[in-house]
Amino acid sequence: MDNQTPEKPKLRGLYRNVNISVKVLDLVILACVAVIVLAVFFGQGSGYTVTFDSRGGSDVAPVTAQYGELLDMPQPPQREGYVFTGWYRDSACMEPWDFAADTLQADMTLYAGWNPAQDEG
Amino acid sequence: MANPVTNLRNTAEEFKAMSPKDKRRAVIDNILNNALYILMLIFVIYTAAMRPNFLSLGSLANLVTQVAAYLPMALGIGGCIVLTGTDLSAGRVMGLTAALSGVLLQKTDFVNKMFQNLPEVNTFWILATMLIVIALGALIGLVNGFFVAKFSLHPFIVTLSTQLITYGIILWFFSLNGNNGQPISGLSDAYKEFVGGTMFRLGNTAVPRYVAYAVVLTALMWFIWNKTTFGKNMFAVGSNAEAAKVSGVNVFLTTMLVHTLAGAMYGYAGFIEGVRSGSVAPNAGLNAECDAIAACVIGGVSFVGGTGKISGIVMGVCVLRLIFVALTMLGVDSSSLYIIKGAIILCACALDMRKYLAKK
Repeated sequence: MDNQTPEKPKLRGLYRNVNISVKVLDLVILACVAVIVLAVFFGQGSGYTVTFDSRGGSDVAPVTAQYGELLDMPQPPQREGYVFTGWYRDSACMEPWDFAADTLQADMTLYAGWNPAQDEG
Repeated sequence: MANPVTNLRNTAEEFKAMSPKDKRRAVIDNILNNALYILMLIFVIYTAAMRPNFLSLGSLANLVTQVAAYLPMALGIGGCIVLTGTDLSAGRVMGLTAALSGVLLQKTDFVNKMFQNLPEVNTFWILATMLIVIALGALIGLVNGFFVAKFSLHPFIVTLSTQLITYGIILWFFSLNGNNGQPISGLSDAYKEFVGGTMFRLGNTAVPRYVAYAVVLTALMWFIWNKTTFGKNMFAVGSNAEAAKVSGVNVFLTTMLVHTLAGAMYGYAGFIEGVRSGSVAPNAGLNAECDAIAACVIGGVSFVGGTGKISGIVMGVCVLRLIFVALTMLGVDSSSLYIIKGAIILCACALDMRKYLAKK
């Protein structure tokens, strides 16, 4: 190493003008750890919420589940003149949600897909 | 390098020879210096106890996937930190390049396709798009690098302004062709397959292809940092720019190249992010640079400049992701996550300074 052990260790670079003692740093570290632990303790919710946007159909109540769980398929919504095609991850109804395989990763909204009902006969 | 076992034995003997007071201090020093690793360990044990499926192959796959996604940006920003700088524009550059990748690779028959006259999506066009977005990222990096190198402006100022300008361009881009700020969706299957296609499965969770790309990228960056003149110059400029200049290093060119390389990395990160998010929203990549900077600092890429290793960055990303995978499984809400992230960054910097100050 090229630096010849200075009398008092000095900080370089972005810490150039930092004036802090090891003792204060220790306190900062402990305070940060305490904040993290408290935030985890108080931030732990009861799980993740899935909201269902029925996009004009009858309302579907939101459900709560834990991370990595499969969702139970809710009662399909009703809408006059339309046929329900399933739940989708995006409002453009391109990415269907597979209730048998997709697991919950975060709070999210699922969108109802609708096709206009065919007039039979 | 000495044999680690001999090293450990020597350390143990040194420890035995200490007075009780010194012993206590050494133990406390060790605990404090490794505070984040200990914290991670506690989280892992706690999460495993609360959610048994945390210790499954599936969550390992999840961790590997997340590390692969967050690694490119950290590898890019690491270079800027070695130069005692930083890069605040990283997240927005990633957002812009993700949007551009998405638009260039939308399904041909998608109703809300933003640009109609694009080539058909095949492997050639996907690779071309990747190069285009990497070039765009590199260009923004070049602008950053130019102002930092030419006028010795602090990167904080330069990259803060490019961050905002890039966000402006993103918003403008999203309102083109009557898109009206809508997320870009309908990405072509070939693009999704190219980036996120399943390589193999761990448990029930797929490991996507970009994990392999991340490995290649890490190897490439390791080579650039350790085996090229450019890499050596980067460390020289980082530890002492004046001395580097005197010994014939082109400081201007090195600084420019570091920022350009970082920009290229954000471009690549955006290319991956397009597929990861499914549909690209205008706020994609928001605050992503904070995670990358935190990962670098945890991994020992110090703000004192001129120090850092690729292996450290990989380690830092792993630690940070492991903490966040655990927190997500515990269901910690996003507001607390921000508080935790802030505390982790402050803690990592304090640890970093402590390493230099406590050295005797």
